[in-house]
Amino acid sequence: MTGEPIDAVDLSVRLGRLTLRNPILVASGTFGYGREMAALVELQRLGALIPKTVTRQPRAGNAPWRTVETSAGMLNAIGLDNDGVDAFLAHHLPYLGGLPCPTIVSIAGAGVEDYVALARRLDDESAVAALELNISCPNVAGGVDFGTDPRMCHDVVTAVRNATGKPIIAKLTPNVTQIALMAKAAAEGGADAVSLINTVLGMAVDWRHRRPLLANVVGGLSGPAIKPIALRCVYQVAQAVTIPILGIGGIATIDDVMEFLVAGASAVQVGTANYYCPNATMTILDQLPAALRTLQATCVANVVGTLDTRAHGGPSHGDKH
Amino acid sequence: MSSPLHAAYCPDHAVLASVEVVENVPVARDTFRLRVTCAEMARRITPGQFVMLRLAGCNDPLLARPLALYDTFYETTDLTSDPPAMGSPAGLDVVYLRLGKMTRRLAEYRPGQLLEIWGPLGNGFELTAKANDIRLSHLMMVAGGIGQTPFLALAQEALGQKTYGSEPGRLPTVSRVSLCYGARSADYLAGIEDFEAAGVDVRLATDDGSRGHHGLVTDLVLDSLQGANPPDRIVCCGPEPMMAAVAGLAREHAVPCFVSLETPMACGIGICFTCVARVRDAHGGWDYKRTCVEGPVFDASVIEW
Repeated sequence: MTGEPIDAVDLSVRLGRLTLRNPILVASGTFGYGREMAALVELQRLGALIPKTVTRQPRAGNAPWRTVETSAGMLNAIGLDNDGVDAFLAHHLPYLGGLPCPTIVSIAGAGVEDYVALARRLDDESAVAALELNISCPNVAGGVDFGTDPRMCHDVVTAVRNATGKPIIAKLTPNVTQIALMAKAAAEGGADAVSLINTVLGMAVDWRHRRPLLANVVGGLSGPAIKPIALRCVYQVAQAVTIPILGIGGIATIDDVMEFLVAGASAVQVGTANYYCPNATMTILDQLPAALRTLQATCVANVVGTLDTRAHGGPSHGDKH
Repeated sequence: MSSPLHAAYCPDHAVLASVEVVENVPVARDTFRLRVTCAEMARRITPGQFVMLRLAGCNDPLLARPLALYDTFYETTDLTSDPPAMGSPAGLDVVYLRLGKMTRRLAEYRPGQLLEIWGPLGNGFELTAKANDIRLSHLMMVAGGIGQTPFLALAQEALGQKTYGSEPGRLPTVSRVSLCYGARSADYLAGIEDFEAAGVDVRLATDDGSRGHHGLVTDLVLDSLQGANPPDRIVCCGPEPMMAAVAGLAREHAVPCFVSLETPMACGIGICFTCVARVRDAHGGWDYKRTCVEGPVFDASVIEW
């Protein structure tokens, strides 16, 4: 200790019209409705909380087995099990609205009219800081079409844009050939930001019984196993659009967070790590200021998208001083 | 479909800790008893609740596994006081089967190695907490495979030998506790001496006849239901077909039956919606309920098997 004051680091981030106190969010579908985590996580410290995706009507979800562990990851096919928007507004949003951290509501539908109806229902709710359009769920019939066809992506974002004054985040799937085209479509449609990636389509097989391990046969892969894919997607999208990116995919530690920021994400969402390390976000927040200072940053934006691809060459070059 | 209020169920008493293995010893074929120090959790946990256990810092296996409370343990007993003061529990024991990727690794853990643990989780058995005005004459516990693990603590509490949890007034309410316990073969039977030491009337069944009844545990259940001093409450834990059969026998004999479901879980805290079971509602329909927060113990009559 030198006795000098530690340089203050500004953790706040701007995501279009949305300003958050820090860049650490929790991903939809990995944090319940927030209250389940209150005993283990200081919810007020989160940059924002995104509860489980809401649909217009209640959905029972898929039959079990709904998840299966794979190497450094897990597959899920929950099927958007939720009680519908009425139950969400009556029973979940009042609790979420009472929290000091903002709530971003994830919505999904089978058609544009569903997204529009949900956006209208939520538009008057002061507890809703922004909407995240889940146009990338691989476990619902039609759920992923808006995320794989640029025209449909553009149109659904525009329709929601016209239905609400809330900031809009489009959540993108990696299960496309060029994710940058989808991000461009979302940006041109009027999205304030994009979040990526949703899960990577995969499957697991029990060969002894010749059957799939998921009742839905296929599901979405998440966890540390998909981090390289997510980083690649964030990097590619950062080259293609000017709207902010929320990075998602295998983020569990401060190193993961910093990698996403440098690759081009303005903020991140912690997902599957909430399942196996419920306080992962708290540990990350404890370590974030020091990690930013390591790069001489005084604010998060100082490191966002600062990846230097010319530096490629690895440690062997670094040795030649 | 009903409209359950998902958020009404939260693990409000859960704590998260990094704990050291105190003991990890074989107790039967492929079966181990693991002891960890975790006083705060041990003070709160009640019979039928579970904890999530994870290999610290390990990405493969990635997820924690749910394991039922077997028993709590006390480190120091003040023998100078009369009666000897137990103090409060220092930690807890779980019993697990070495079966898959995680438990094969766990079986190699030695004292001093680190595990991550969160709990207590789930509802547990409400047998004694709720029923102070009802004195059961015979509680029958039915276990198959590794399903005996939640029952030692329950028996000890029901017989008034030990208290669990922070709520006072969990009183002995049962005069007799029996255990019908079925396994593949004699070498898989684990902890019989623990149950016998607690005063539980143990009846065994094995698939190969190597110990006890040669046949299914449900044969023992039917025998008891038809015999003198039949059970007036049944609790059951084991493979689903076995629990469904026991629930059917209980219904035929009009005996209340509670099952502790062994659905696979990813988080244990209600956020992933993996561990759902079909639970009937009052209107004749059913909905998927999360067994980690709304169970794992359910009235058998509401389960859609």
